[in-house]
Amino acid sequence: MHIDLKKEIKESGPGRTGLIILLLMIAVALLAPVIAPYNPYQQSTASLLPPSWNHWLGTNHVGQDIWSRLVFGARTSLLVGFGVGILSTLLGTIFGVSAALLGGLYEKVVMRIVDAFIVIPMIIIVILISAYIRPSILTLILLLSLLSWQGGARIVRAQALSLKERGHVAAARSFGAHHFYIAWRHIVPDLGPILLVDFIYSVRRAVFMEAGLAFLGITDPTVVSWGMMMRDALSFSYLDVWQWWLVPTGVALSLIIIGLTFVGHAAEPVIEPRLRGAEVA
Amino acid sequence: MFSKRNLVAYTIAFLFILVLNFALPRMMPGDPLMAIYGDEALIAMTPELKAQLVERFALDKPLWQQFGAYFLTLFQGKLGYSYYYNAPVLSVILGRLPWTLLLVGTSLVFSTMLGIILGIESGWRRGSRTDRAMLAGLMSLNGFPDFFLGMLLLIAFGVTLGIFPLAGALTPYSGLSGLALVLDILRHLFLPVAALTLAHLANGYLLTRNTMITVLKEPYMLTAKAKGLSQRVLKYRHAGRNSMLPVVTQTGIWMGRVVTGALFVELVFAYPGVGYLTYEALLARDYPIIQGVFLLVAISVLVANFLIDLSYPKLDPRVSYAY
Repeated sequence: MHIDLKKEIKESGPGRTGLIILLLMIAVALLAPVIAPYNPYQQSTASLLPPSWNHWLGTNHVGQDIWSRLVFGARTSLLVGFGVGILSTLLGTIFGVSAALLGGLYEKVVMRIVDAFIVIPMIIIVILISAYIRPSILTLILLLSLLSWQGGARIVRAQALSLKERGHVAAARSFGAHHFYIAWRHIVPDLGPILLVDFIYSVRRAVFMEAGLAFLGITDPTVVSWGMMMRDALSFSYLDVWQWWLVPTGVALSLIIIGLTFVGHAAEPVIEPRLRGAEVA
Repeated sequence: MFSKRNLVAYTIAFLFILVLNFALPRMMPGDPLMAIYGDEALIAMTPELKAQLVERFALDKPLWQQFGAYFLTLFQGKLGYSYYYNAPVLSVILGRLPWTLLLVGTSLVFSTMLGIILGIESGWRRGSRTDRAMLAGLMSLNGFPDFFLGMLLLIAFGVTLGIFPLAGALTPYSGLSGLALVLDILRHLFLPVAALTLAHLANGYLLTRNTMITVLKEPYMLTAKAKGLSQRVLKYRHAGRNSMLPVVTQTGIWMGRVVTGALFVELVFAYPGVGYLTYEALLARDYPIIQGVFLLVAISVLVANFLIDLSYPKLDPRVSYAY
């Protein structure tokens, strides 16, 4: 793995753009209470107001300030995205590395389970479960993580299998290092770039899923979410409100996903080195 | 022909779905019959019916016998009864399925074909200004969720311009027939298909472009060029055909997701397919329908994967030696 990931992302135009978009979004989410002029939950009688100095993007059907909801919505989106990204990459690493190192029946069982889960579309399982229990943010993060680590595990295992044959690992083993030590000191550090790519795609999937599920109306209704805002806005599509209610929300959501796509694409040569030089050729 | 590894994976996937379908309603607090049938059933429930259902699901027996009973009824093709629609689940779903197949099938053909062509052209000119513009443009398009694209199209062409109808799959009670009916269906189909095609265009494009770039580096491309073949033949027959394999896999995977893939777009356009049915069932807490859809998705996914495995050797004869 002699590809410098930082260089790879920085040198690609879209990669840089993506990174800037993401950093901006994270800043908005972190500074939400400072940026938002109103409490996003506070209702007033001034409903469906057009944009003005007091309400930059007007108000929604229950008189909440749309701009403030948009800003706080970034928190939900990124929280679910990064939460799922971290958890599912962690699970993928644990199962991928352990399968590669331990081998035997354990590896077979883990990899068949991975194959099975990759086959089933995640969304329908989430919908089925949500039909019975309305998931809170935390449940949603756990649920999505449990259903999305499998792809990463497959890539991690393939990489770990080749790493494990390297000289330094054999040397460590001959000194009596046990599996856990080898995994932690010699395999995981070399997996870095691959894990990052896996992480980015997990985040993207989760951001998309959260918005979609909120759009269906099966997430926690008390939390501001872009998907839910778009769902509300759609029911007023016969009015002009879509211009400042639906479009900014949809664009914000799309921007996060585009940012992640750009960064992910720039980092992809890590998984498929043959793609290197595709931009400059 | 059919690898053992895949067979094991499909079996696990199918069993997992069955167990989830079986376990979820029975783990809910309260009367399991309520969780199996949903709130609507309460109205129709008489003591005789209740006794009959307890008997059918073996609810007074140990858990493993309940699973046996569940499996047996499924095997007989009984997906249950929807009290909300007052009809058997299977006939409700089958009634909606043609609309989803029409919608997803059409958009799948368009997005795959366009994606492959754009991918070949873009990969062929890799690094050029056209390639970079196409790449950035299509990757941005990929970031737009399909329901957002759908809503934008709906507002632009449906609400503002009024060219296309806002909802449904045909004009209700219009009494149209023949050519007029076909045109009416096509008019309703246009916007949802456009939304789905745009949303999935980038997938086929990116895959084709990526493979194209690796294929162009192969020695046989140099040979073909040296033979003096025309650019069109080089581009499409030599490089293009070899770049199609991953797209075929992906299209196959999409075929399996036929039911879920159009879920959001069907919702935006109130298109009466299986996705919209799922949404209605979610709102009405009509559990038998949700369970039925879930099972249908599972089966279609497995069938699609099976078909991909079968079609592989046709596209790449080397694959058939591998088994």
